[in-house]
Amino acid sequence: MIEIDHVSKSYNKGAVRAVDDLTLTVPSGEIFGFLGPNGAGKTTTIKMIVGILKPDSGTIRIAGLDNQAEALRCKAMTAYVPDEPEIYERLKGIEYLNFMGDVYGVSGGERRSRIEHWLEAFELSRAVADPIQTYSHGMRQKIILTAALMIKPRVLVLDEPMVGLDPRSSHLLKEAMREHCEGGGTLFFSTHIMEVAERLCDRLAIIHKGRLVACGTMAELRDQAKDKASLENIFLELTES
Amino acid sequence: MSSTSALVKAALNSNFGWSVVRHRLFVQKRDRWMVPLIALAVVGVVPTLVLYFRLLGAVFDMLRSLGQEKALLTLAVLAGQLIILVFGLFYLIATFYFSRDLEYLVSLPLKPSQIMLSKFAVVLINEYLTIAPFILPALIVYGFKKHGGPGYWIIMPLTYLMLPVIPLAAAGLVVVGMMRLVNVGKKKDLLIIIGSLVLIAAALFLQFGLSRAAGTLGPDTQKIIALIGSPDGLVQTIGRRFPPAIWATRLLHDGLLTVSGFTGFALFAGVSILLFGGLMAGAQRLFFGGLVGLSERSGSPGRRAKARARIKVSSGLHPIRAIFLREVRLMNRTPIFLLNGVLGVLMIPIVLALTLSSSKQGSDSADILRLMTSAKPITGILVTTMFMIVCATLSGVASSSFSREGRKFWVSKTIPVDFRQQVLAKFLHSMAIAVLGISSAVAVLVFRFHLGAWQWLSSLALALPVTVFITSLNLAVDLARPLLDWISPQKAMKQNLNVLIAMLLDLGCLFLYGLAFVALGRSGLSLAAVIGILAALGVGLACLAYALVGQFALRRYPSIET
Repeated sequence: MIEIDHVSKSYNKGAVRAVDDLTLTVPSGEIFGFLGPNGAGKTTTIKMIVGILKPDSGTIRIAGLDNQAEALRCKAMTAYVPDEPEIYERLKGIEYLNFMGDVYGVSGGERRSRIEHWLEAFELSRAVADPIQTYSHGMRQKIILTAALMIKPRVLVLDEPMVGLDPRSSHLLKEAMREHCEGGGTLFFSTHIMEVAERLCDRLAIIHKGRLVACGTMAELRDQAKDKASLENIFLELTES
Repeated sequence: MSSTSALVKAALNSNFGWSVVRHRLFVQKRDRWMVPLIALAVVGVVPTLVLYFRLLGAVFDMLRSLGQEKALLTLAVLAGQLIILVFGLFYLIATFYFSRDLEYLVSLPLKPSQIMLSKFAVVLINEYLTIAPFILPALIVYGFKKHGGPGYWIIMPLTYLMLPVIPLAAAGLVVVGMMRLVNVGKKKDLLIIIGSLVLIAAALFLQFGLSRAAGTLGPDTQKIIALIGSPDGLVQTIGRRFPPAIWATRLLHDGLLTVSGFTGFALFAGVSILLFGGLMAGAQRLFFGGLVGLSERSGSPGRRAKARARIKVSSGLHPIRAIFLREVRLMNRTPIFLLNGVLGVLMIPIVLALTLSSSKQGSDSADILRLMTSAKPITGILVTTMFMIVCATLSGVASSSFSREGRKFWVSKTIPVDFRQQVLAKFLHSMAIAVLGISSAVAVLVFRFHLGAWQWLSSLALALPVTVFITSLNLAVDLARPLLDWISPQKAMKQNLNVLIAMLLDLGCLFLYGLAFVALGRSGLSLAAVIGILAALGVGLACLAYALVGQFALRRYPSIET
């Protein structure tokens, strides 16, 4: 579903290589965890998948479509949740959800039922008529997640989605992620929480200094490492400079 | 380095982005194409500046023939201080209370007055830059024409540096007091807008007072003779309601070594220090009270209880309509955007009308326009068309359209909506506000200047396509280099370089349009033919510009990185 093929991205006219010849594939129905230390290139990769950044070289395909040449069709099947919940503070929660529903073409009936479901689940029903500027960090994160889940895209791309969420919401999100993939969707997400990655992901990749240092199932990663005790140990070993 | 100077240095650096500019130019090696463009824009202003210098020279000669040349200084100082008083209010409210860095600053071990000082320094330097093109030429012309000695050239920059302090500190005191009062209850945004309008009305009232002071002369020959009879006559008349202008005039004209000049200096500097000290003392007591909790909003419990029943899930708008609605809401609900954008276009013509109404010369202005129109209709139409276009387009709404999205631009990049459609929605929003400005201008022309229907309708037919052209051009300027990483909404609109670049381009285009107007007027063609040709030219330009900005969006959007 997501094919990243020899993708590179650098900043400062090539002085900083954020992503270096990255190649990986995430098939449909898979929860794919993307790990790496701060500044490893996770967010840059994610931003290239959703079309915010343009790769210097290489291609990214969503459902077989080049995300640069067929940008609109790729975006129509992808929903993105950024690491920082920067959204229109002056809109009310419901206005933001309606805006996203309008631009993604979600029909009235589906929109109502999905919005009601996720607002209820995330306990946002009472706050949704208030301006987003009244929301806490976690509430903003939840309204962006609600929008992404309302769209019901084929591909969900989440950058550090658990940050700022309370345990209950975090649990709900994990269930939603699993449900999304059981329905045939694809999920690509980055996280620093090793336990979540270990328990939730079908496959994992570790990126370090822009390069892919490991990719596979938990069992496959264990095979690559000397210290096989936990994902955290594997991560530390593979990302040691 | 003391904490105060470190704070001021950081505030200036953050506001003017010196570190960012250095990083972009020398480390990232981006934006280097902007350097020749900015140089070109500066060169483009030179002809206008030369004309302005000549005009000031002529005014000086005329005043000197009456023995009243000092009045040029009084006028310059007064104009500068009034510009700062009226427009500085927006700067002050935005910088003092809506900068995003305030939340961090408040948590640091700093006194309120230190934070206020750093913000005041930012506004002060911005004001120096804002009034420089209007005021410095007058002071320079006076110096050269009067053959001012070295003393004048030392005192002149000193006076210029002190010039904004009195109006800014006075406005600052009022703003700090107002924000402390409005930072209560739920409708804070509404109170801020109402409070700002009250302050602007008060500033305008002061201006009318000054106009009236000058207007009371009327046609009374006795008064005119008395006025010209005294070398200070005109200075006293102009500066009567705003004495700092008289003090500065004495300082500049008489020099520091005379009693009159030194007294002027002492009063000018003394009142500046007094007001600035008052502002700092006021800040110490009131600043945090007005600031803390300003960004907090609470939903009413009653409303929340009913929220579930009232969740308005729309049945699906067209993406263009949805984006247009988003633009409207974001502009109307952000006080700084609303004040600068929507209220700005409404206010410019109304302020002009009120200013002219405030003096007895108001009726003369209407007569002059009518006379001009009846004697040479083409000139009258040119003036009213230009007036409508300026009222519609110089608000900075289109030239900050992308910048206003700020860090939320990721949404526009990821939604499945064609970039041309996104630009169309922004274009429609900018045009809606431009039409508001044109409507306001038409109202002023009809009700204040009693313009005939044929003239304002002709001007409207000419102004609308040019407005479309300029709006498209302004959108393209902002799209070329959107300022997305701002910390204060003020920075996205009034302190956005794109707005300035667009304004210079607009003025250049209007200049060329005016030349075409005059050339056609002199060609011997009938008035109807001239209007027809210019309207067709306008429509052609509008269509071309709109098509080009759509194509530019397709190329530019993908490469904007956030």
